[in-house]
Amino acid sequence: MRKLEEVLQDWEAVIGLEVHAELTTLETKMFCGCKLEFGADPNTHTCPVCLGLPGALPVPNKAAIESIVLAGLATNCDIEKRSMFYRKNYMYPDMSKNFQTTQGPVAFCMRGHLDLDVDGPAAKERITAAKLAEGEEDGNAVRTAEGYTAHVGITRIHMEEDAGKMNHVGGSEGRIAGATHSLVDYNRCGTPLIELVTEPDLRTPEEARLFMQKLRQIYLALGISDCSMEEGSLRCDGNVSLRRRGDKKLGVKTELKNMNSFKNLHDGLAYEICRQAEVLEEGGQIFQETRHWDPSAKRTIVMRVKETADDYRLFPEPDLAPYDLSDEFIESVRAKLPELPDQKAARFAKAFGLSAYDARHLVEHRATANFFEACMELAGADAAKLAKPVANLAINDVTAHMNAHDDFDLEDSPLTPARAVELVRLVADDTISSKQAKEVFAAVLDEDKDPAAIVKERGMEQVSDTGAIEAVVDAVLAANPDKVEQYRGGKTGLMGFFVGQCMKEMRGQGNPKLINELLGKKLG
Amino acid sequence: MSALDHAFACMSASDIRAGLAAKEFSAREIAESSLARVRALDGATHAFLETTEALALEQAAKLDAAVASGEADGLGALAGVPVAFKDNMNLAGTHTTCSSAMLANYVSPYTATCVARAIEAGGIPLGKLNMDEFAFGSSTETSAFGPSKNPWDLERVPGGSSGGSAAAVGAGLATMTLGSDTGGSIRQPGSFCGAVAVKPTYGVVSRYGVVAFGSSLDQVGPFTRSVADAALAMNAIAGRDPLDCTSQDIRTDYTANLDAGVRGMRIGIVPAFMEAKGLTAEVKAKVEEAAEHLRELGAELVEVDLPNAQAAMSAYYVLGPCEAFSNLARFDSVRYGYCDPGHKDLGGQYEASRAKGFGAEARRRIMLGSYLLSAGVYDTYYYPAQQVRTLITQDYARAYEQVDCILAPVAPRTSFKFGEVSDPTDMYLSDMFTISINIAGNGGMSLPVGLGADTNLPVGVQLISPQFKDESMLRVAAALETVYGPAPVAPLFREGADFKAPATIPDAADAVPGVDLPGLATESDVPGGVHQASSATERELSERLGAAEVVAAQVEGEAE
Repeated sequence: MRKLEEVLQDWEAVIGLEVHAELTTLETKMFCGCKLEFGADPNTHTCPVCLGLPGALPVPNKAAIESIVLAGLATNCDIEKRSMFYRKNYMYPDMSKNFQTTQGPVAFCMRGHLDLDVDGPAAKERITAAKLAEGEEDGNAVRTAEGYTAHVGITRIHMEEDAGKMNHVGGSEGRIAGATHSLVDYNRCGTPLIELVTEPDLRTPEEARLFMQKLRQIYLALGISDCSMEEGSLRCDGNVSLRRRGDKKLGVKTELKNMNSFKNLHDGLAYEICRQAEVLEEGGQIFQETRHWDPSAKRTIVMRVKETADDYRLFPEPDLAPYDLSDEFIESVRAKLPELPDQKAARFAKAFGLSAYDARHLVEHRATANFFEACMELAGADAAKLAKPVANLAINDVTAHMNAHDDFDLEDSPLTPARAVELVRLVADDTISSKQAKEVFAAVLDEDKDPAAIVKERGMEQVSDTGAIEAVVDAVLAANPDKVEQYRGGKTGLMGFFVGQCMKEMRGQGNPKLINELLGKKLG
Repeated sequence: MSALDHAFACMSASDIRAGLAAKEFSAREIAESSLARVRALDGATHAFLETTEALALEQAAKLDAAVASGEADGLGALAGVPVAFKDNMNLAGTHTTCSSAMLANYVSPYTATCVARAIEAGGIPLGKLNMDEFAFGSSTETSAFGPSKNPWDLERVPGGSSGGSAAAVGAGLATMTLGSDTGGSIRQPGSFCGAVAVKPTYGVVSRYGVVAFGSSLDQVGPFTRSVADAALAMNAIAGRDPLDCTSQDIRTDYTANLDAGVRGMRIGIVPAFMEAKGLTAEVKAKVEEAAEHLRELGAELVEVDLPNAQAAMSAYYVLGPCEAFSNLARFDSVRYGYCDPGHKDLGGQYEASRAKGFGAEARRRIMLGSYLLSAGVYDTYYYPAQQVRTLITQDYARAYEQVDCILAPVAPRTSFKFGEVSDPTDMYLSDMFTISINIAGNGGMSLPVGLGADTNLPVGVQLISPQFKDESMLRVAAALETVYGPAPVAPLFREGADFKAPATIPDAADAVPGVDLPGLATESDVPGGVHQASSATERELSERLGAAEVVAAQVEGEAE
């Protein structure tokens, strides 16, 4: 199979996502008073309604409606004042009524969008493939200085209920194949779920990943879900098809499941794009089918072939009257909207003079955004001066550490905002070099000590005494007359050699800025 | 005093309450003698599927304690009244079978709101009543446990689907029963058995705990032998229920204007109904006679048109089966209900369990609904049916700009013999005058107006009220009742009745929670076998009533 970058030169991938989020922060289920709790003993949070006992009727959870309206407002959706619940009929043991209560053609939230700022390596795939120059447009994307901005349409966000959980026993790894019997746990049955459906506006696996990350940030900021991809409270299916660059007609799509992490979402889509390209290039045909991403085998496999569209016999749920949302209700929900990641980034940029790029990456994780803000509060009068180095620390060092250590919790780590501010101050007043700062950063995390104490213990204070440095510079130049000759003869690349020798002499503690200055003066 | 001679269930609710309060008799006497009367006489009618002796005695003890402690004034409106419930209504600790083999062993872990309210008002629960399977039918002939018989002529049907509820009241086996009406299932058997039978406006009585047939059409209502008793029953069961979000917050005293008469009221007559093909001469004559009485009592008769009502039947046989298909999907043998043994795959178990657990009419409606909702067909049937529904609703609304109440036939004829109507579509015509009321959501009732001139069988006239003005039809009914008198108990069941063939009616003591586990189902669960006889565990009733955990335990039990 060819590599993704190569494939994207010839083919345009058309990707749409369906994102399910369980409203885990609510007290009770969607249509009954049963408690929402993950990990309780099987079937302990059940009642006649969620067990689908004969005669039981649903009553909608108002708090869940508020949550979905929040989600809609935060993703620029129109809130529909009148919508209805529908029954989606299909039989499976985890669905106790054998129909799922969901919404019909009109959902609570319609016609929204999110703008994705794609930059860095993530932006390359599309920029190269579409040969985008700054200011140019490619469909829904506009090239910017740092990458591009993609406008991703949101078709709808609708409310529905989750099914129970099946546990297949006797087969391998809980799979149904080979199982002797199956157990059903209805605790999850009736959990309020919101499903967001995007327009087919995504073009690369990176965009899909960024979209999910951004949506997750928003949901977390709204506090409507714990958004755990691992525990399944945030789930994502992808639809992907290919078409030749320049073609308008959509290709046949496949639906991808089991993309339960950002990495799996990216890798699954990337694999599927390459697979489809290979099939098409060999003259083959893509079938409309559901495929399962197997992260260990690093490939997608067919789950089921859809020869005809599933017939869910959708019809209006007669047990639930049409839902009318008043203007007052919508406005009361709007008043509860917290600061969203985009707004926070804009505020950071404005208040602390950060670049849009820095501000955006700071708010990518709630933890780094909160951390940055706490540091700025401690920095006081120096906030403007220290903003950039603190932001760099948070975006580069902290994020790299978080990515490398799954269990790292910034809020509960030895790197307190006070220590972070201390560390960047040590660099700012030339006590240590930025290279030494990396060592101190690691030591703070390892040894749980203040940066100043580490610097002292390790004798790392930078020497900025001009007299002392000048003596070393003179000695180095005196010891290498031939190199001095060559430098003056035009081999200016030797500057690095002289700096290195000086640093070596000073056991790395010389102020590199001063060394450079003095060398330049004496050699010039 | 023989239980059969002191038939409390032949008395009116207000007489029972007054006698109880005056200590002329005890609630225990009412419970015991009423149950004895059911056991002695129900072999002839087969109105009851199950008695609830322990619940009846428990309720009687409460009532007697209240009277003894001088709290007689605080007795509920239905205090001491022998009541019974259609078997699609959940009552914790009893079987709720819907007269289907599918649920032959199903034990309710919770209680329907309407049942709870009737008991809270002081009613003594005697048992559960036969019906057409899942309320699909007009004769109780589709019951998996055999049909009920019309107390006025044991060779004839009591009507349906609430046939057991109508027969029990007609035979004086209960003073008040509850039924449910989706297309005529309260009013038509009320007419056949000579009972006052009320289908309130949709949303007046909670449906919570009543096994759904057509969720947008179903409504619960009472059967009694007098209009006053029906109004008392309405007071007890009507009103907003937070567990049914289609129930409305209507606060009405249904007894308030029963004596107000009809002077100055405008009563609508629908010429198209009176000229309908199939309406028998004796029924038509009775409706005309009732109209004439109303005119004499001071009402003004006004002809009104319901131009779209003739499409009600078509719309009903689209909407009803669609909702039923979806409502009955839960009966899949997984959590409860009949489970065909020996299947290794889910699809096979689903198919066989549903094929054997459901009777022919239930399967017919499920298939119909499944077809009507399928892709490509939906737009041709379901959507237009909803449009028709809007038009019919508008027809009624327009008619009520001119009149306060409409008078119409209930059923086109009096009761028929068992097996006489065998074509399903002919059977469906039983509801030709009642269905449009469910489609529009209005209240409608059947009032007994004596016997038909040709068949000598009970005839009811239908009174139809504007939405949420059910008191208006009760007012008109009360006025007519001054002419016709309260409905009598069927002659065969009056004093001295003795069929020498006591019924062996299962009692809810056999209802052991947890017995209905898939996998434990045996061949005896299939049609023919009523409730599996088992030695009941002696449990405190209060424990059974609050036993919602039972279900969770069932599911866990299955897991093992």
